[in-house]
Amino acid sequence: MVDQTLAAFIQEGVGIHIGTRNERFEPNGARALAATVDAEGRELVVYLAEAAAARLLPDLRANGQVAVSFGRPVDDRACQIKGELVNVRAAEPHEREKIRGQFESFLNNLELIGIPRAGGANWITWPAVAIRLRATAVFEQTPGPAAGKPMS
Amino acid sequence: MNVTLESLATCFQGLLPAQLFTCSLEGVPNAAYLSHVDYVDPTHVALSFQFFNKSRRNIAENPHALVNVLDPDTGQGWLLRLLFERSETEGPLFDRMALRIEAIASYCGLKGIFKLRAADVYKVVSIEPSPEEQGGQPLTEQSRTPEPHAIFTMKAMQDLTERIQRADSLETLVDSILAGLDEDFGFRHSTILVPTDEEGVLVTIGSRGYAENGVGAEVRFGEGIAGMVAEARKPIRISGLMRGMLYALAMHREAGHLGISPRLRIPLPGLANPESQLGIPLLVRGELVAVLCLESEVQYRFHEDDKVSIELLGNYLAIAIQNMQLQERMADVQAPQVAERPQSAVPVASAVGKPRREIVYHVADECVVVDGEYLIRSLPARILWRLLTAFADCGRDEFTNRELRLDKSLNLPEYKDNLESRLLLLRRRLEQKCPDIRLVPRARGRFGLELACDIGLKTMP
Repeated sequence: MVDQTLAAFIQEGVGIHIGTRNERFEPNGARALAATVDAEGRELVVYLAEAAAARLLPDLRANGQVAVSFGRPVDDRACQIKGELVNVRAAEPHEREKIRGQFESFLNNLELIGIPRAGGANWITWPAVAIRLRATAVFEQTPGPAAGKPMS
Repeated sequence: MNVTLESLATCFQGLLPAQLFTCSLEGVPNAAYLSHVDYVDPTHVALSFQFFNKSRRNIAENPHALVNVLDPDTGQGWLLRLLFERSETEGPLFDRMALRIEAIASYCGLKGIFKLRAADVYKVVSIEPSPEEQGGQPLTEQSRTPEPHAIFTMKAMQDLTERIQRADSLETLVDSILAGLDEDFGFRHSTILVPTDEEGVLVTIGSRGYAENGVGAEVRFGEGIAGMVAEARKPIRISGLMRGMLYALAMHREAGHLGISPRLRIPLPGLANPESQLGIPLLVRGELVAVLCLESEVQYRFHEDDKVSIELLGNYLAIAIQNMQLQERMADVQAPQVAERPQSAVPVASAVGKPRREIVYHVADECVVVDGEYLIRSLPARILWRLLTAFADCGRDEFTNRELRLDKSLNLPEYKDNLESRLLLLRRRLEQKCPDIRLVPRARGRFGLELACDIGLKTMP
């Protein structure tokens, strides 16, 4: 579902947002901090701050529907993965370094387009939760007429 | 928390990417990046609709949306819960959003590749701070380029007015306006362009704050910020230009893959990395007198208040420029004709030790080339050629605007020929590219041709 090239892009430290919806089909969403893709490219773990998880977890537990967008500020390359919830757990202390590393890369990327690192300096990155999801579809999302086309 | 939409004005400048969350009728959520969120009124925002993407299809069947915007000053994230109300395909809101998209695209040389299909207007149901995106101290003082903030005080207006009152020619007026915008208001980088005798073309007649003054640089209507302002006859304000350009270039790459080719263009001189631009049409009773462009390397330099104030100021500047053009023209009527001197009065190509300039007039292209380097084209080129040949043939070194107006060979427009603007442009181009040849004002409507070089004249078909 997610090939190695795309997995590398997802894990390089890009802007990540996770979307859910409630029982009234009202959308919900939050900024996520980091993501990893398993070796088969079927499942992802998306990390987000507990502060953000509080408003998404009721949706996820109720219906399991999830959408995650990945975008690189410097060239606006972007994709979106649709999926279903597998499980939710608290992020382990040994994962903190990985989360911080990807998040720092994202701030570096923002800096390349003239946005000071200080802008994200107060964003909360810990404690975090790990959301495992099964990818069901991958879509191109780089701005332009091809945005929205399936990638796999 | 009671937060008003107006208090989030800086979030709507497009400096930082926004995120749009929607949901389909089947209950599948969607998360997508947004190029721009526009403030409409205290209870509404507008999102640009450029492509029939999944977000747009979702909204057509389920009007609920969530937008995550960031305050570029503090880094604080905000969640706006929205309800779709209507799509606008014309009117002031649509025009403003379409112009912004086209201006950025045009600046990148990609005009026409993407267009706004509609401005989608949403009611803002609630505004909440995003708890994971906590803000800090405003970044303005910490990490932005220090630049004095423009203050439209009565004192600044009075100072600019006095400068304008003192100006006694179009040249000093243009310089006074640009100097006033810099010194009285803090707008350091500015350009004034005027329409040429060629339909749909603007030419730069003055600039301030650049290494190269760029006088003579032309731009077609619809190209770049100045061209877009001239075409639309409406002001354009852009912040976060760099991010907008990246977005446009990303679209271009995608479009290129689909076989759409952009039209290449040569950019106007300006800042290497502009972040904010403001273009204002200078109009008098609907007639485009000039275009004023301001730019800055600061991301959020021109605020909405600045645009409104500059628009008001623009009306005054337009009248001042047009008034000066009319005054100079009226003065021509009273200026006596200059008698032609005998050829021997001013020797041509005789002084020892002077450099020699080979000047070629290309008839078909109507352009003048000096020592193999392009100087100027169109009407200013025809004027220069007439002056130089009069000098070479009869030794004349003084001319009046009036005789140029009466000279049918120059083919000036009967009505509003803007001769003074053309002479100013010619004078500045000579100063920049060929300072050995000078046009020196001697009285209103009269000027001298002063040569510090020998000249060789040649025409080419």
